[in-house]
Amino acid sequence: MTADHPISEIGEAPLLPAHITPARVSEQVTSVTERPARLGWWLYFGSSLLLFGVLGASVSYLFWEGIGVWGNNSPVAWAWDITNFVWWIGIGHAGTLISAILFLFRQRWRTSINRFAEAMTLFAVICALLFPLIHVGRPWHIYYTLPIPNQMGVWPNFKSPLLWDVFAVGTYFTVSLLFWYVGLLPDLATARDRARSLFRKRVYGFAALGWRGSHRHWRHYERAYLILAALSTPLVLSVHSVVSFDFATSVIPGWHTTIFPPYFVAGAVFSGFAMVMTLMLIARQVFDLEELITLQHLELMNKILLVTGSMVGFAYATEFFVAMSSDNPYERYAFINRATGPYWWAYCIMVTCNVLSPQLFWFRRLRTSVPVMFAVSILVNVGMWFERFVIIVTSLHRDYLPSAWGYFRPTLVDIGCFVGSLGLFFTLFALFLRWVPQVAMFEVKAILPGAQPGHRPQHPDEPRPAPSAVPQPGRQHPEHGDLPAEAVLEPKEA
Amino acid sequence: MTSERAPSGQRVFWRSLETKEHPGQPRELGSDVVKQSIDGPGLLRLRRRQFLSLSGAISALAGISCIRRPVEKIMPYSEMPEDVTVGVPSHYASVLTRRGEAIGVVVQSSEGRPTKVEGNADHPASGGGTDLQAQAALLDLYDSERARTPTLKGTAKAGGDLDAALAELAGQLAGSGGAGLHILSEPSLSPTFLRLRTALAAKLPQAVFRTYAPLNDANERAGARLAFGRPLLAQPRWAAAEVIVALDSDFLMTETGSVEAARGFASGRHMASASARAPNRLYVVEPALSVTGANADHRLSLPAQSIASYARALAAALAAHGISLGSALGAALGRAELAGVPTAWIEAVAQDLAAHRGASLLIAGSRQPAAVHALVHALNAALGNLGKTVAPVSPLDAEQPDPFADIAALVRDMAAGSVQTLVILGGNPVLDAPADVQFKEALARVPLSICLSGHRHETGELCTWHVPQAHALESWADQVSRAGTYSVQQPLIAPLFKGRTDALMLAALGADTERDPHLLVKTTAASFGAVDEPSWQRLLQRGVGTSEATRSATGLSLQEAAIAAAIRALPEPAPPRNDALEVVFLADNKLVDGRHANNAWLQELPDPITRITWDNAALIAPSTAQALGVASGDLIRLTLQGASGSPQPRSIEIVAWVQPGQAQGSIGLPLGWGRKRAGKHALGAGFDVYPLRTSQAPHFALGVKLTRLGVRYPLSQTQEHDLMEGRPLALDATLESYRAQPRFGQTSSPDPAASPLWKTRDYSQGPQWGMAIDLNRCVGCNACVIACQAENNIPVVGKEQIARGRTMAWLRIDRYYVGEDADQPEVAFQPVSCQHCEQAPCENVCPVNGTSHSPEGLNDIAYNRCIGTRYCMNNCPYKVRRFNFLNYNLDIPETQKLVYNPDVTLRFRGVVEKCTYCVQRIERSKIAAQREGRALKDGDVRSACQQACPAEAIHFGDLLDERSAVAQARRVDREYALLAEVGTHPRTRFLGKIRNPNPELKG
Repeated sequence: MTADHPISEIGEAPLLPAHITPARVSEQVTSVTERPARLGWWLYFGSSLLLFGVLGASVSYLFWEGIGVWGNNSPVAWAWDITNFVWWIGIGHAGTLISAILFLFRQRWRTSINRFAEAMTLFAVICALLFPLIHVGRPWHIYYTLPIPNQMGVWPNFKSPLLWDVFAVGTYFTVSLLFWYVGLLPDLATARDRARSLFRKRVYGFAALGWRGSHRHWRHYERAYLILAALSTPLVLSVHSVVSFDFATSVIPGWHTTIFPPYFVAGAVFSGFAMVMTLMLIARQVFDLEELITLQHLELMNKILLVTGSMVGFAYATEFFVAMSSDNPYERYAFINRATGPYWWAYCIMVTCNVLSPQLFWFRRLRTSVPVMFAVSILVNVGMWFERFVIIVTSLHRDYLPSAWGYFRPTLVDIGCFVGSLGLFFTLFALFLRWVPQVAMFEVKAILPGAQPGHRPQHPDEPRPAPSAVPQPGRQHPEHGDLPAEAVLEPKEA
Repeated sequence: MTSERAPSGQRVFWRSLETKEHPGQPRELGSDVVKQSIDGPGLLRLRRRQFLSLSGAISALAGISCIRRPVEKIMPYSEMPEDVTVGVPSHYASVLTRRGEAIGVVVQSSEGRPTKVEGNADHPASGGGTDLQAQAALLDLYDSERARTPTLKGTAKAGGDLDAALAELAGQLAGSGGAGLHILSEPSLSPTFLRLRTALAAKLPQAVFRTYAPLNDANERAGARLAFGRPLLAQPRWAAAEVIVALDSDFLMTETGSVEAARGFASGRHMASASARAPNRLYVVEPALSVTGANADHRLSLPAQSIASYARALAAALAAHGISLGSALGAALGRAELAGVPTAWIEAVAQDLAAHRGASLLIAGSRQPAAVHALVHALNAALGNLGKTVAPVSPLDAEQPDPFADIAALVRDMAAGSVQTLVILGGNPVLDAPADVQFKEALARVPLSICLSGHRHETGELCTWHVPQAHALESWADQVSRAGTYSVQQPLIAPLFKGRTDALMLAALGADTERDPHLLVKTTAASFGAVDEPSWQRLLQRGVGTSEATRSATGLSLQEAAIAAAIRALPEPAPPRNDALEVVFLADNKLVDGRHANNAWLQELPDPITRITWDNAALIAPSTAQALGVASGDLIRLTLQGASGSPQPRSIEIVAWVQPGQAQGSIGLPLGWGRKRAGKHALGAGFDVYPLRTSQAPHFALGVKLTRLGVRYPLSQTQEHDLMEGRPLALDATLESYRAQPRFGQTSSPDPAASPLWKTRDYSQGPQWGMAIDLNRCVGCNACVIACQAENNIPVVGKEQIARGRTMAWLRIDRYYVGEDADQPEVAFQPVSCQHCEQAPCENVCPVNGTSHSPEGLNDIAYNRCIGTRYCMNNCPYKVRRFNFLNYNLDIPETQKLVYNPDVTLRFRGVVEKCTYCVQRIERSKIAAQREGRALKDGDVRSACQQACPAEAIHFGDLLDERSAVAQARRVDREYALLAEVGTHPRTRFLGKIRNPNPELKG
């Protein structure tokens, strides 16, 4: 890897156009937090807030009356609540995957999108955490799930997959938060340094935790970031595996399946990428970030969607094959019932959205068409929600004893809680877009042409960047004086 | 300080020290408050800081409010009653009546309020079991909507006013000899009532006494009168019968004496092993699938009007097997065949009966005309069954007239204006009198009407006076069972709403000077052996009198000519057509004739057959429904055409239900629903079918037209899927295959060889509780379900919640249809509650250890620990765990709260609950045994379901005790574990059902 060809691992074309300069990056990204918000942002924020209000109203009503305001019943004791939980957790996977795993593999094209993805992870996990919290019958006793020493010596049940969930999701949230926040520090410092009002200076200064960009800071930063990336990576695999244990360790036909952990992880990555895609396409449009988030980034992501979508499709087929070739009548019935029972429509939506729609990406023209990829990303989001619905509801509604079979119908409050959780997510996202540098500036700068000093000659097509724009540690910045935050991040060679 | 001092000599006006000191300076602190109080609304003048602090406080307060857990008050006795130990219930013997039968009960009293009804083992009509109405009697007692005061034309009156009015009336009547007085009462089993009635009749010779109940034994009495010349009731000895032919008789559920029948029938079915004596064989011919039909080895669905023809054909076929009915009768029978019925159904049944002379039993249902009853008597006599499997007994009130004729006569008198005073003692004739007699219209012509009933119902609100009637659990009376056992109905509690008894009303009208119902009964009891105080006390204690009030009829001789004439007079059955259907009026499995309509437990109990809650429905055969284009849930109109004497066609609107097993062309209509004036549970539940019922055709009617209304009506079921899907659940085997393979249960559902996931517990120390349910004995009556509800304070959730799939029943009786033909299904019942798995899937998934195993093998729930993740419900293969989706114990009337069992916690919303094996009973017995310094013995602990079961199908006890009933039951070869292949090792085991089909009668 060289300075002039920082992207040689993934192709010959440069990752970013040549006219992008470090100053331009700072200006483009930070100015969003400095300018008054545009009308578009207000519309987006306003409608998100409205949806968030729906969540507030729904959850208040839920707490007041009880779980009965949802459509859950016996035998379908879990329905939209856990569907939403798993869906959000799945979405929360892409962030860490993009940030940590691509970082470890030195996939430097990730720099334009990793902040997005990480923020999305955090917010998705917040939304996910909401559902186990509100779905219990007595949420005021939710702390019983925590191993708090007490005089009665009553502990949580460590055999329960739900308890494993508490730890897995809790850990994942903590690590994701730290990972995101640590990665934010240099950019927060940039925002602080550009701030013109005392208030902004104070707030960003506090948030930046005193980052000055000294060599020592960078050294610690890189070490910390690497460790957190390494910690996050196994979590990507473990969290959804543990979530899948909620189902896999049960005795219910359609749940009791050994394929679940890998199948869930693939699904999680799939849905997470789809959600990143949806959000990125919107943000790219709204904030004019076409230069930073290029078509090439999007195409690469579409390829991942195609791969994971096919993996998920393979898992569906495997499940069916195993059930059909087993001698277990309950298992066999559960899968026939999925496709042909009362919820056949949910199964059809799931297969169409998850398996069929990504197949469009075999064609380069479709893979590079923004409207197509936007449509597919939405379809995949829908399809992955239905996947969880199919797994949870259609397995439960007809299990062992036909006398206890039933049917689940959602209520308005079910819908309110789900739509409201989207509101929570988008509200948090709106705030993030407005107040936090939404692209990892210092990382992008590191992949600008010429950002990595080397001996190879300049690419003939690229104009040489103005020397003042090339960030060097400790150098005077032409506009803002000493700006150590724009120092080069020099990843160590493997 | 010195600024702007007022010039000396000038008067200073000040309103506070500050202003006095600084007159020019506006007051800083609190000045706004002063200003606001002077200048008006302060909110508009709030400063920013105040506004912020106020709004902060408001939003903080808004967050505080929340549903509180109910405040519980403990009210100690200020003076301890001598015979009450708080927490230790006492038990009193009493008796409850059900449709012509008196069932002896033992009622548990907790701190002075009755909390549970059990059967009295010493009482022959109970034998220790009860039916579901007896189990639900508590809720009838505590019904907060019962009438609370006497009312005169709708205005509440004091009891004294009523007494004065009655005294005045009695004075007038005494003067006139009772002219114009008509007294309508229900058929009575009470010697005290009959004694007072006789006394009143003697005192007021002109008074007219009428008897009416919509469901009665008129046909049975008339049939015996035809056959033997006097009104008798058939008292079967069920256990002795090896072949039973039931002609439209639902003897296990809705007919008189069902508890005793279930017990006897089940013992006749019992098989201790494959080599044991063959169980009895039950043939049922009936129009609508009843619980009895569901237990049949062979069931033939036939329109109700064709049952008589079947009986004739059967009798004719028996003649060929040497069972002769005599020449006169034989000539009236006709040929041994019936159109539309396979000959085998006549030939093979006749052969089977003939092969079991003296050990067979024919029984006709109360819907069938007298001629069928008479023919059945003749057949039983010819088969040598009289005195062996059936003993005719003389009824207590032998003079009781035909109620349908009686009420028609009464209404004629009322319409003619000769009824000055009508006293209605119990019953609800405005609702349930035959529609053609037009009781309601005639009632308006009666100057003074007095109605005694628990609720101010359809009849009560139209009468001049309405008098609250005391419930059986709060009043003195006496009752004689059908077979003649005398019992005293002793109250468990003072009348909650100052209700009166029917005997007391008779006394008030002048039958007796005694006004104490206790002494009225005690006087009668003297003639039943309770001559002195010790014998009276013994009678009360034991609940069963010593001498028989009625006795078996002897010296009977068949009157063949009369029977033959009656048979010849039977109308020829007209096969139902789709434009002229038959309707059959069914005694409802739960509400009987509508008298229990406001009982929420019964309303919410799924019908044993249809599994519908909170509604009745018109039951239509699948083939008929298809031909008519009717689906379950369609609203239909049924119009009775050409009812003689009425130009107006009678019609009702009702929801249709496609019911397998219903006779083609015949529509079953359960009575007692669609109440117009009743409590909140009865209102809006179901459809009233009485308007189609006429005095000419009170049991089944022909020529009914069905019209679809094109409207759907929502029905709530607790079980929506009827088939077992080929899964080994409610296992059964024919006798033949059972003998070939006794352990058929284990082979259908093998235990997995896989080792358990978690460390197994040590179950070697006793007691280790277990249950065995004998599907061969269970008749599917659902008494256990209500018993469980009463014992364990299980809430009622309502029709809407049931529709959402949120029934709270800890115990349910699954009903599956077996077989290919939707019109002739076989039925399998299976009671399912928590199986108390030794490897319980629910336990390891609970994140908070809310449910775990006790050392005695119980799967316990700590409600306080449960946070309601509902994971346990998901992971329960038997789906027996129930979740309090809402606070189902909210807004329970104070009166109804008296029903709660103090030993069982009420569950708040958000927690999971399920069968505990009646852990409170286990603990109570353990404490009792410990106090007595002895070990627990088998039978000390009886679960509520076990105790209620009239068929003794449920065994419960210590598995480690080799001699316990449950341990023995589990050694029976038919034993199996439900869903054994899941590896749960359930503590509840089932014993497979044995069907005993006649090899001659295939299909």
